Amino acid sequence: MTMKELFFKHIILIAFLVQCGAAIAQTENENQEVLMPGETPKPTKYIAVEEQKQKLVFFQGFTLSVDAFGPLMSVVSDYGTIEAALRLNLKNTFLPIVELGYGKCNKTDDNTNVSFKTNAPFARIGMDINMLKNKFQDNRLYLGARVGVSKFNYEISGPEIKDPIWGGSKPFDVDNIDCTSTWGEIVFGAEVKIYKNFHMGWLVRYKSEFSSSKSKFAKPSCIPGYGYTTNSTCWGGTYSLIFDLNWGMKKSRKAGYNIEIRDINYDNNEQQNGTVNESESGTGAAEGDDNGSGGEGSEEE
Amino acid sequence: MKIKTTYIFSILFAIAMLASCYSNNCPLNNSVTCNYHFYDMEGNAIKYGDQIKVSTLKPGMKDVWVYKKLGYKTLTLDSPDSALVADGYSETKTQQRKDTVIVGQANSDKIQIPMSYYYNCDTLVFEYGSISKKDTIKINHESYPHVELPECGTYRFHSLKGISCTNAAIDHVEISNPVVNFDGAENIKIYFNGVAEQ
Repeated sequence: MTMKELFFKHIILIAFLVQCGAAIAQTENENQEVLMPGETPKPTKYIAVEEQKQKLVFFQGFTLSVDAFGPLMSVVSDYGTIEAALRLNLKNTFLPIVELGYGKCNKTDDNTNVSFKTNAPFARIGMDINMLKNKFQDNRLYLGARVGVSKFNYEISGPEIKDPIWGGSKPFDVDNIDCTSTWGEIVFGAEVKIYKNFHMGWLVRYKSEFSSSKSKFAKPSCIPGYGYTTNSTCWGGTYSLIFDLNWGMKKSRKAGYNIEIRDINYDNNEQQNGTVNESESGTGAAEGDDNGSGGEGSEEE
Repeated sequence: MKIKTTYIFSILFAIAMLASCYSNNCPLNNSVTCNYHFYDMEGNAIKYGDQIKVSTLKPGMKDVWVYKKLGYKTLTLDSPDSALVADGYSETKTQQRKDTVIVGQANSDKIQIPMSYYYNCDTLVFEYGSISKKDTIKINHESYPHVELPECGTYRFHSLKGISCTNAAIDHVEISNPVVNFDGAENIKIYFNGVAEQ
């Protein structure tokens, strides 16, 4: 592996870590009240919470995404892809996906001067699962799997090989070697909302080659959509620009709580404290339990 | 949430560490030779105890100088020797097929011989230490380039098409595996005259 490839690999990982951190921090901030040291929450209002009997809409629409990382890689390295994906959103949890793309590889080894060329379409099909507990928010943390296939022709050529005993030397060039490859992927990634229906996200892919049709001349050193076959497994990644196509699906249906707010009588502090304590220990505890179980139940439904 | 965050970052750290690993998968044994294994007439694997020297005939001719003297062994040299002429030898310049010695070994159960890259027929001459006669084996084959990975370079593999031999010490020969590559598998069986003592 060249220094250039190592450098880009690490840059990608660092950027991914930063984005994951930002996504997680955003999620935490949404659910936490910010308090300075020594401050206590101010009991100003009595809040009654009732669970609404609303279910999460099963069909949440489609997302269409294009990869920005593959074209960049084709500029800076020997291998690159152009790909787009259509993802179905079921309850914001299960996300079946179809990915179609076109990959190219034009690699010449510096030491041996052996060249490998191919360009062909590829397809992947699979499913992601949104790992975040709160399914109502726009950010997502994915774990998923894919199965990929590509049917392609490749060309391999090399410099003259000299026969050390009988003598003679000839270069070689074998083209139109037909090959069909299949592979599997385990993917992990994050996606954050940028603006309205526009999201961006990283996906790291751990790939394993299942099969490739063999030729007596060479095995494919690079498979479109998979990458280099130097090892039986390899890593890849995509940086997706994602467009949420909700097609009329309303996010308001996601609201699972009805919150009632009433003013509190401030005339008697003791009474106020008692009311607050009473509400916290009595109604709050009872309703808190209801909210906890109700809220969870609503999400899981 | 803290535990979850730690968990996620641990996974990502493991991914980063794994991504840093790299290994070169080029074959360790990368010499492509045709492997001849020895058997007796009945097909028992044997070690051939005699000295065997294998040379091959190469395409083209070369100049040789032949020196003869009554009562002495005839000498054939690749270059002229004026000392022999002064010693009473007659000198004759002539042409011979080019040849070269590939292997010389004794007491072995197999012999590994490379094959030509760009000719379809290899001629091998077997000379024995205790037998004055020689055997000639002709092998018809096709050669083709093979690339395991671009970083590993190019190999020449061969596909055996046919084989024939003389019978000074050899009973017969047969192809057991027509694909000659760097796997080291047996390709040709040589059955020598006689039966090995048990």
